[in-house]
Amino acid sequence: MSRLSVSDLWKGYASTEVLQGVDLEVHAGSLTAVLGLSGCGKTTLLRVIAGFERAERGSVSLADRTLDDGRTYVPPEKRCVGYVPQEGALFPHLTVEANVGFGLSRRERRGDAVAELLEMVGIAPLARRLPHELSGGERQRVALARALARRPHALLLDEPFSSLDASLRTRVREEVHALLREQGVTTVLVTHDQEEALSLADTVAVLRDGRIIQQGAPAELYERPADQRLARFLGAVNVIDAEFEDGTARTTLGALELRDDPASGGAAAGVVMVRPEQLDVRLREEGAHGESSAAGLGGRVERCRYYGHDALLHIRPEEPSGGEMLLARVHGEQALPVGTRVTVAARGPVTPL
Amino acid sequence: MHRRTLASLSPFLIAAVTLLTACGGSSHGGPTITLYNGQHEQTTAALVTAFEKQTGITVHVRSGDEATLGNQILQEGESSPADVFYTENTPVLEALRERGLLAPVPPPTLAAVPSRYDSAQGEWVGVSARASALVYNASQIKPSQLPSSILELAEPKWKGKVGFAPSETDFQPLITSIVKLDGAATAERWLKGLQANGKLYPDNETVVAQVNNGESAVGLINHYYWYRLRAELGQGGMRSALHYYAPGDPGDLVNVSGAAVLKSSSHRAAAQAFLAFLVSRAGQETIAHSHSYEYPLRPGVSPASGLRPFAQLKPAPLTPAELGDGSEALALEQKLGLL
Amino acid sequence: MSTFAPTAPIASGWTRAWSGRRRWPLVSVAGGAIAAALVLLPLAFLIIQAQRSGWGEVQRLLLRHSVAVLLWNTVRLTLACTVLCAVLGVGAAWCVERTALPARRLWAVALVLPLGIPDFVVGFGWVSIDPGLHGYLAAVMIMTLALYPLVYLPVASALANLDAGLEEAARSLGLGPWQAFRKVTLRQISPAVLGGCLLVTLALLAEYGAFEIVQYRTFTVEIFTEFKLGFDTAAACALSLVLVLLSVAALGGELALAGRGRAWRAGPGARRIAPRIALGRLSAPVLAGLSALGGLALGVPLGALVYWMLRGSSTTLPSASILAAAGHTAEYSAGAAVLSTVLAVPVSALAIRHRNRVTVLIERLAYLPMALPGLVIALGLVAFSVRYAFALYQSALELIVAYSILFLPLAVVGVRSAMGQASPRLEEVGRSLGCRPATVWRRVTLPLIAPGLGAAFALVFISSATELTATLLLHPTGVNTLATQFWAYTSELSYGAAAPYAALMVAISAIPAYVISRRMTTLARGERAR
Repeated sequence: MSRLSVSDLWKGYASTEVLQGVDLEVHAGSLTAVLGLSGCGKTTLLRVIAGFERAERGSVSLADRTLDDGRTYVPPEKRCVGYVPQEGALFPHLTVEANVGFGLSRRERRGDAVAELLEMVGIAPLARRLPHELSGGERQRVALARALARRPHALLLDEPFSSLDASLRTRVREEVHALLREQGVTTVLVTHDQEEALSLADTVAVLRDGRIIQQGAPAELYERPADQRLARFLGAVNVIDAEFEDGTARTTLGALELRDDPASGGAAAGVVMVRPEQLDVRLREEGAHGESSAAGLGGRVERCRYYGHDALLHIRPEEPSGGEMLLARVHGEQALPVGTRVTVAARGPVTPL
Repeated sequence: MHRRTLASLSPFLIAAVTLLTACGGSSHGGPTITLYNGQHEQTTAALVTAFEKQTGITVHVRSGDEATLGNQILQEGESSPADVFYTENTPVLEALRERGLLAPVPPPTLAAVPSRYDSAQGEWVGVSARASALVYNASQIKPSQLPSSILELAEPKWKGKVGFAPSETDFQPLITSIVKLDGAATAERWLKGLQANGKLYPDNETVVAQVNNGESAVGLINHYYWYRLRAELGQGGMRSALHYYAPGDPGDLVNVSGAAVLKSSSHRAAAQAFLAFLVSRAGQETIAHSHSYEYPLRPGVSPASGLRPFAQLKPAPLTPAELGDGSEALALEQKLGLL
Repeated sequence: MSTFAPTAPIASGWTRAWSGRRRWPLVSVAGGAIAAALVLLPLAFLIIQAQRSGWGEVQRLLLRHSVAVLLWNTVRLTLACTVLCAVLGVGAAWCVERTALPARRLWAVALVLPLGIPDFVVGFGWVSIDPGLHGYLAAVMIMTLALYPLVYLPVASALANLDAGLEEAARSLGLGPWQAFRKVTLRQISPAVLGGCLLVTLALLAEYGAFEIVQYRTFTVEIFTEFKLGFDTAAACALSLVLVLLSVAALGGELALAGRGRAWRAGPGARRIAPRIALGRLSAPVLAGLSALGGLALGVPLGALVYWMLRGSSTTLPSASILAAAGHTAEYSAGAAVLSTVLAVPVSALAIRHRNRVTVLIERLAYLPMALPGLVIALGLVAFSVRYAFALYQSALELIVAYSILFLPLAVVGVRSAMGQASPRLEEVGRSLGCRPATVWRRVTLPLIAPGLGAAFALVFISSATELTATLLLHPTGVNTLATQFWAYTSELSYGAAAPYAALMVAISAIPAYVISRRMTTLARGERAR
C-alpha cells in the first residue's frame, strides 16, 4: 500500500511543453482516474511515473521514495510500478503464460504463481495461446495479470478499455475494478471517457493543457466542476442565468437551493449549472397555453434522444419567459414525442459557475 | 661457354644457400618464404614440392591472377609479405621494376637461361616461354588458307572469323610487337581491322574453346591453351589445330613467364635460391613435365612431347624486356574502345 | 558480438539512453560509429589515391571522350536492369504470396536461389550455351536474371505481412482489382520495392565478372582494366569516385522517393489476411512464366556445371581439399554474416529510433561500399593494414571485415525492416516488469528481430560465399576457398575440376536461401493463424 505523489511536474518535447506543473496525489490503495481529452498529456504523465521519460522539473515519489526529482532517477525496472499500455502490448513471441511470468524469477515461474494469476483474471484455459490468438478483452486481462504478477506498489493503466467494444468494455471494466479492489493496489488509470472515470475511480483528476485543473471524488467533480468547460466535459448540462440571494438562485425555473453561495463572495448575479437529471418533466394539459404555472416552466419537446434506460429531451421554453434550450433526462418509458407540451421544474441544489 | 659454367654452378649455389640457412635456421626445419604465384597453379605446386625437398626451405604459396597480385604488391610496398613473385607474363614484372620494387637477380641465375629472355636490368629472370600462335578450326579452314603473317588477319577476307581476347595480358605484347617492328600507324590500322573482323572473348580460354566449337574460325592465342584444352577434352574432342606464322613475323612472338625477388624481402637468400631453382635443370624438367605445356628456357631441357621444338620457333627479334610494361599497347586499345 | 551480450557497458548505455531527454544509447552510437569508420576506410583510400595522381590528371581521366561512353553504358544498363528486376521481382513475389500457386513453397525457395550463384558461374553458364553472347542486351539479361531476387525477397516479405483491409476498402470504393493493386497495394509495398531496386542498382554499379564475360564496358570494367593492365591505382581510384557519385545519386533518389513512409505497423492490432487468389485459367501462363524465370536464372548456370562435370576429363572425385575449401568458405562467410548483422543492428536502430540527419547519413553511408568493386575495397584494406595493422594483414579476420564492409547493406536491409516492427513500447513494458535493459534486449527485442537477423545473416552469407575479387587479395596465404579454387581451375581450362567447387558453392548457399524463404513464410503463417 503506497501513496503516489507527483508535484509540479514539467515535461516537454522539442518546442511544446506537454506537462506544465502537474500535481497529483494518489492515496494508498485507491484508484485515481486521470481524465482528459486526447493529446492533453495523459500518456506522458504515465510514462514519467513509469520512468520511461525523465521529468524536466518537479518530482515523482512513491511511498516516500523519490523516483525522479531532477537529481535522483530510478530506472523503470527498479520502481516497482506496473504498467498496462494501450492495447496491452503483449510480447507477440511469447505465450500467455510466458507473458504473465515475464517479470517473475525463474523459480517463481516454475511455481503456481502464473497459474494463480491466470485463474485470477479468468483466462486459465488460454495459458498456451499466443497473443495474436486472443480477443481484445483477453489481451487486456493478460496484460493486467502480467503487470500484477510482480505485486507492484503502484499500477498504471493507459486507456485500458478503449479498444474494447461497448458490451465487452463494461464487463471487463467491472472485473478489473473488482480485481484491483481485491488487490488493494494503488492505481492510476488514464482515460478520455468521463463515464469510465466517474464510475470506476475513487478520485478523478482532470488534466487540461498540461495541468490538473481539478481533483476530487467523482460526485464532487460532477456536482462542483471547476468551470463551465469541465462541467460540459463531465456530462450534459444546462447553464441558466441566476440572481443570488440568501443561499438561493432565482432563475426562470424558479428559486433553487445553492450548493455554495457566490453572493458571500459579493456576486449578485451569474449562472448556475443544472444537470439534466435535475429537471422534472411533466405533461401539460391542453388549454393552459404559454402560461408558466407555479409548478414550472412551460415548453415544447423539440428533440428526443432515446437510450433505452433513459432518454434526453431537448425542450424549448415557451414565451414569454423564453430562454435557452433545456436538456432534461427522463426514464426511458417517459420518452416523449417531438412537439409534446411539457412543464419543466428543477430540483436543487444547483451549483453556481 | 662462360654462361654454361655459371649455369652449371647454380645447383651448388642452391646447396650453399641450403647449408647456410640450415645452419642459421630455426628448429622448424629451415626458413620460410612467401611466393606470390601468378603462374599455372599445379606446375607451381610441383616446383615448390621439389624445391622444398631439395632445400628444406618452406614455401608459402599465394596464388592469384598475376595482375591482381601485381596491384597487391604495389599497395603493400615496403611491407609486402611476398619474397618471390612468379608470373605468367613479363609486363607486370616490368611494371614493378619501373617502380623500384624488385631486387637484382644474381648473375648465375640470370645466366641459366638465354639472356634475351631476362630483364635487361637483371631484375627478373625468364623461366619458361609460350609461343603465340593461331588456332584454327580444321573443318572451316584449310591449311592452305592460313595466313603467314598476323597482319593479314586485319584484311576483309577474315571478316567474322577471328576470335581474340583484348583484355588478356597476352594480347598487348602482340600490339607492342607490331608497333616496334612496323610502326604505330600499322599497329593501329591492324587493330582497327581486327576489331572489324573479330569476335571479342573475355579470355584466351574462351577463344580456344570457341574456335574448337566452330564459333570462330581462327583465334589468337598462346600455344599452350590449345594443349591444355586437348588435355581436358582428349584428342577426340579436338576439332582444331595450331598454326605458327612465318619466322620473324610480329605475330610470331615468344611470351616469357618470369620470376623476381622483391626488394622488400627479408629472406632474400632463400628467395634467390628459389629463383635459382626455377631455372635449374631440376626445376626446368619439372616445368617440362607439367601440364602447363610451356617451353622450359634452359638450354638442353626439352619440352613436353608433341610440342614443336623450341629451336624451331623463329620468333620476331624482340626481347621481353623490349616489350616493356605494355602501357603503349594499352593506350591504343583504350583509344579504339577495345577495353 | 557485444550488441547481443548482456554485458555491463550495454546496460549503462541503455540506462543513460533512458535516463535523459532523448539521449542516445551509447552502444548503438558506438556500433554505428564503428560501422561508419569501416565504410569510410575504403572511401578514404580512394580519395587519397586519386589525389596522388593530381587533380589535373583526374580531370584528364574523367573528361576523356570514353568516359561519356562508359557513363552512358553504365546508366542505361542500370536503369534497364533495375526496372526489369522490379517488374520480375514484384510479379514473382505477387504470384507466390498472393495467388493459390501450386507448389508455392518450392517456388519460394527456387526464386531466391539465383542469389547463391556467383556472377562468374552465371557468365560461364551463358557463354557455354551461346559463346557469341555479348553486348548491352546480353548484359541486361544476365544481370536481371542474377539480381531480381534482391527485389523479390523484400517484396515477398512485405506482401506476406500486408494488411488486406486497405485493399478491400479500395475495392469497396469502386476500384477494379488492377487499380486497387496499383493504387493501394503497390503504394504499401513501395518501400520494399524501392529498397530492392536500390540494392540492384548498387550491385550493378560494382559488377565486373559478368560484364567482362559479355564484353560490356561499364565504369567498373574500366576500373579493372586500369588496375590489371595499366597498374594505375590512381586512375582506377579516380574512376571509382564516379561510381561513388553515381551511388550517392541512387541513395539520395531512393531516400527522396521512399520519403518518411517507412514506419511499419507496430503492435498486435487486428490485421486482415488477404485470401489467395485462385489462378484458374491463368495457371498455365503463370507457371510457364515462373518456370522460364527459374529455368533461365538457375537452370543455365547449373546446367553448364553439370555438363562440364560429365564432360571434362579433369573431373575427379571431390578430394579432401574440396571439403577443406568448403569449410573455409563456410567459416569466413559465417564470420562475415555475423559481423555485418551485428553492425547492422546499431545502424538500423539509430536510423529508425533516433532518426536525424546524422543517423540517416550513417545508414546511407553503409550502402556505399556495395557500389564499389570488391577489388577497390580490398586494395583499400591492403593499404590500410600493411601500414597500421600488419598483424591483421591477410588474416581470416581481415577477409571477414572486407566481406562485412562489402555486404553491410544487405544486412541493413534485413535488420531494418525487423527493427521497424519491434515496437519500443514492448521494451518499456519489459522494463516496467523489473528487467534490466540488457535483459529486455535479450528476452524481448532479440526474439522480435530474430527473423530479420536471420535474413540478414543468410543474405550476407550467400554473398560472401560467392565473392571472388576481394577473396583473392585478402585470403590467408595457403588457404583456399571454393571461389578461389573454382577460379584457379577455370583459369587453367580445367572446367571439369572446377565445376564441383561451383556446385558446392551453390549447395552451401541453398541452405541460407531456404532458411530465408522459410522464415518469411512461417512469420506470415504465424499471423495468418489468427
